[in-house]
Amino acid sequence: MGQLLQAVWGGLVFGSVYGLMAVGLTLIWGSLNLLNLAHGGIYVAGGYVAYTLMVSLGFGAVFAFAGAMLVSAALGLVLYAVVVVPMLGKPGWDNASWIATVAVSLVLESALLLVYGPEVRAMPAAIDGAFVVDQVVFRYQAILVCGVAVVLLVLLHLFLKTSRFGLAIRAVSQQMDASRLMGIPVALVFLIVMGVSASLSGLAGAMLTSILALSPTAGFVPMLKALVVTIFGGMGSVKGTIVAAYIIGLLEAFVQAFAGVAWSLPALFLFIIAVLLVRPQGLFGTPELQRL
Amino acid sequence: MLRVSDISAGYDAAQVLHGVSIRVDAGESVVVLGPNGHGKTTLLRVISGLVRPTGGSVQFEGEELVGRKPEDVVAAGIVHIPQGDLVFPMMTVRENLLMGAYRRGAWKVRKDGLDRVYALFPPLKERSGQLARSLSGGERRMLAIGRGLMGDVKLLIVDEPSLGLAPQVIEDVYAAIKDITREGLALLLVDESANHVEGMADRVYLMETGEIRREGNAADLLGDEALLSTYLG
Repeated sequence: MGQLLQAVWGGLVFGSVYGLMAVGLTLIWGSLNLLNLAHGGIYVAGGYVAYTLMVSLGFGAVFAFAGAMLVSAALGLVLYAVVVVPMLGKPGWDNASWIATVAVSLVLESALLLVYGPEVRAMPAAIDGAFVVDQVVFRYQAILVCGVAVVLLVLLHLFLKTSRFGLAIRAVSQQMDASRLMGIPVALVFLIVMGVSASLSGLAGAMLTSILALSPTAGFVPMLKALVVTIFGGMGSVKGTIVAAYIIGLLEAFVQAFAGVAWSLPALFLFIIAVLLVRPQGLFGTPELQRL
Repeated sequence: MLRVSDISAGYDAAQVLHGVSIRVDAGESVVVLGPNGHGKTTLLRVISGLVRPTGGSVQFEGEELVGRKPEDVVAAGIVHIPQGDLVFPMMTVRENLLMGAYRRGAWKVRKDGLDRVYALFPPLKERSGQLARSLSGGERRMLAIGRGLMGDVKLLIVDEPSLGLAPQVIEDVYAAIKDITREGLALLLVDESANHVEGMADRVYLMETGEIRREGNAADLLGDEALLSTYLG
């Protein structure tokens, strides 16, 4: 029973972080039709920014997380400037764009390698300690991660559902020409989407690297999992992505608890292959339609 | 009000418009008739800033619009209701209409805008919470028109509102457009058939292979069966 509850709790924590990462991928895919493979690099950069602020400079966790979000958002804008601006609307966008994001990701990883070196670092927790209920360990850091992620995901959902600019982001993702004719500034929408999704990925990196570990290439696996979540949720559907994140998080936690950590990635990929066979459009996706 | 002078435009190597000039005066309803594929839609896309012309000018209330972004054209008071079903499929009817009020001034009075559109198209009110993709073709067309009316419009541009609709629905859509123009709005409408524009148009242009062939009062041109069948088949 204790092991079961521990797995459920672990799943909620993983799901929260995957949600933070995956909504960013989904937003960018939905509005720009861009598979952003620099998302993992930005995640790690967020982790290093937080590490530098907390460990090297001795700032508090709140400041470190805010700094990670700001720097990541700036990286999102760089991505916009070097990938989106020169390529969007040109022939070959579909493939050229994601290959360019791989390049940005490599540059980012190499830069981190130069500055911080290859060794794996342990990121300290924002709040140390834990409490135990019925043999289930609730680490304060995990509660913090979960809480922050849920609040941000709810805020993002409300923003997209009710605010003027949030509605405009969805409109652009569904019908670009009509959005232009409504007077929506499409370039500004793209810029904001890149900034917001990068800052969420950076925050995920800042928070999760205290549970996992921090190294220049540590973003790859979380990004793969976020991709699985995005596909499972139905590329481009924010609601679907959030639900999918928790399902994948729980699945992973259960596999780790009952089959061992080594099985978590293979299990996820087997799962997503099975899902794609049965429901190619994912959980909330609609076939042959622009979504979000 | 709107003065389009000597516009040339095209896509890649293919030139579509060859020196087109038209004008719309305040409060006037102008219709451009021509067969499909002869540049009517391109002309509208030039006016609304979606296509940059290779030559010519578009002036609205004395202001040059060529080279301006679509959002600037909307800000000037020109609303373009595109051909087909360019609604936002995964947004509700209400959310679609709200996007028509995206501009800050219109957003402030969006409640009034919704009331006005719902009064004009009661079916949209009944379906306000439904996703746009669940609407019928006629309802979608009404949604596209209603969405265009949410902002502060001076000139309404409508691209072939009859396309793909059942005859009875076409009547309804045109009746609604007529109602709208009674409020003094200027209208520029393009269509491939003269069947529905009688009684609505003040002036008519006939367009063929990217050029304006004839211009005249609606009463004269639309009465000339021989002329119409020459150009429209």
